[in-house]
Amino acid sequence: MSLHCENIIKTYSGKDVLQDVTLDLQPGKIYGLIGRNGAGKTTLLSILSAQNPASRGTVTLDGEPVWEHRKSLAKICFSRELNANAESGLASMKAKEYLRIASTYYEDWDKALEERLVKLFDLNVKKKFGKMNKGLLSMITIIVALCSKAPYTFLDEPVAGLDVVARERFYKLLLEEYTGSGRTFVVSTHIIEEAADVLEEVIILHEGRILIEADTQAFVDSAVHVSGKAEEVDAATAGLEAHHPETVGRSKGVTVFLKPGQSVDESYDVSVQPVSLQRAFVALCGEEEAK
Amino acid sequence: MKRNLRFWTRYTWESAGATLSCAAVLAVIALFGAEGLDFGTFATVMPYFLLVSAILMMLMINTGCQTLYVPLLLSMGETRRNVLLGFHYYRALIIAVTLAACALIWLLAPGEVSAIGLRSIPTLLCVLIIASAAGSVMGTLFVKWKWLGMVVIILLCGVAGGTVGFAGAAAGDGLSIAKTADIVAHLIKLPWWLLAAAPVSLGLDIGFQWLLLRRQEVKL
Repeated sequence: MSLHCENIIKTYSGKDVLQDVTLDLQPGKIYGLIGRNGAGKTTLLSILSAQNPASRGTVTLDGEPVWEHRKSLAKICFSRELNANAESGLASMKAKEYLRIASTYYEDWDKALEERLVKLFDLNVKKKFGKMNKGLLSMITIIVALCSKAPYTFLDEPVAGLDVVARERFYKLLLEEYTGSGRTFVVSTHIIEEAADVLEEVIILHEGRILIEADTQAFVDSAVHVSGKAEEVDAATAGLEAHHPETVGRSKGVTVFLKPGQSVDESYDVSVQPVSLQRAFVALCGEEEAK
Repeated sequence: MKRNLRFWTRYTWESAGATLSCAAVLAVIALFGAEGLDFGTFATVMPYFLLVSAILMMLMINTGCQTLYVPLLLSMGETRRNVLLGFHYYRALIIAVTLAACALIWLLAPGEVSAIGLRSIPTLLCVLIIASAAGSVMGTLFVKWKWLGMVVIILLCGVAGGTVGFAGAAAGDGLSIAKTADIVAHLIKLPWWLLAAAPVSLGLDIGFQWLLLRRQEVKL
């Protein structure tokens, strides 16, 4: 079973927000979808779950189309980021009603888990969305995502507005659910450093294109930060894929992405350090500022 | 589809409750100044309050459904086709429930107004279908064009509110059975244009809604 999208293009007012995106989401993995604001993360998740139509391209689950196909849609949950200020009238809805509707529509809804999470997050479900802060709204989206038990579950910025304790709790719950059920999760997030440990695979979306789709550890291991005197760094990294140069006086630092078999020439007087997922991401997607 | 029907059936009862509450408020307002009115006679006019409140609720709730519940159900994995069918199932059910409640009251409380009411059911059905379609079209316009939709909503609500206000003023001081009978007697005859307007409005509404829904993007 895999969720596959092919050559997805999404155009808004003549501008391609997604450009020829092809992706294969395998079962039983936690994917991290990372990208800068406006990279197309939410649009991609919306198209994968048939909440938005693609301008071109197809999405299939086990070879069956997802669009207007109830059987496929029943296996996908995209728990959207809730916006209580929207014109939709969501502000006047109570959390209790939202959860009741979700429990009606998701076939394998776990009521016991819902009760446990409501208690754990200390949520007042009688409260209207309009009276909830960002953190509380995030908790609701997390509850829907986890309780839906959908084999493919997407979370869009699930930790936005949550304090550090609640974020820790979320990652713990996510791992608990993942190990217990083998479901596939796609988590879109800006808080990369915290999420890095739970993401098995990373998908980096940049300006509507997939830049990287790789095993998180392998991707992080392929990147190193090389620093030292500018001329030494340039010589040590000659012929390698160097990104995001930072120069301070005569010193220079670059992030290098090594292909199999490549290495930094350490005979030069340079320091080679491992990088975090966040730093690797910034090196790839933060070029414009560096230039 | 079973889950979809379960949701819309429950929503019908919630809407029916709201309609009933609104009808009760209208009835209480109308009762001010009414003298010498016994319960049986009052019961014969009660269905008209129910109908007025059903029309107001259809304008409001159908608009709200388009902006909130339709995208919400799509976000929970329902197909566009099923959402459209479910929404129309709800609308048919609420019209049927409203008319059935009116007919039942008129049957249980016989009188001049009740007899007129029972003979007016085809006209009332057409009026409810048009009101329901108008509410839905307002929602579609709002989802698609925001400000244009808002202008249409204000205009239609103004016309509906004005009509209710004008009818209230025309009725004079307090509730009078004789005056009510005179007014509602006009509803017995179903004019051809009203008979034609009901399916046309429903057709336009379904057409507009499907055009929007088939490419609608979920925004919550």
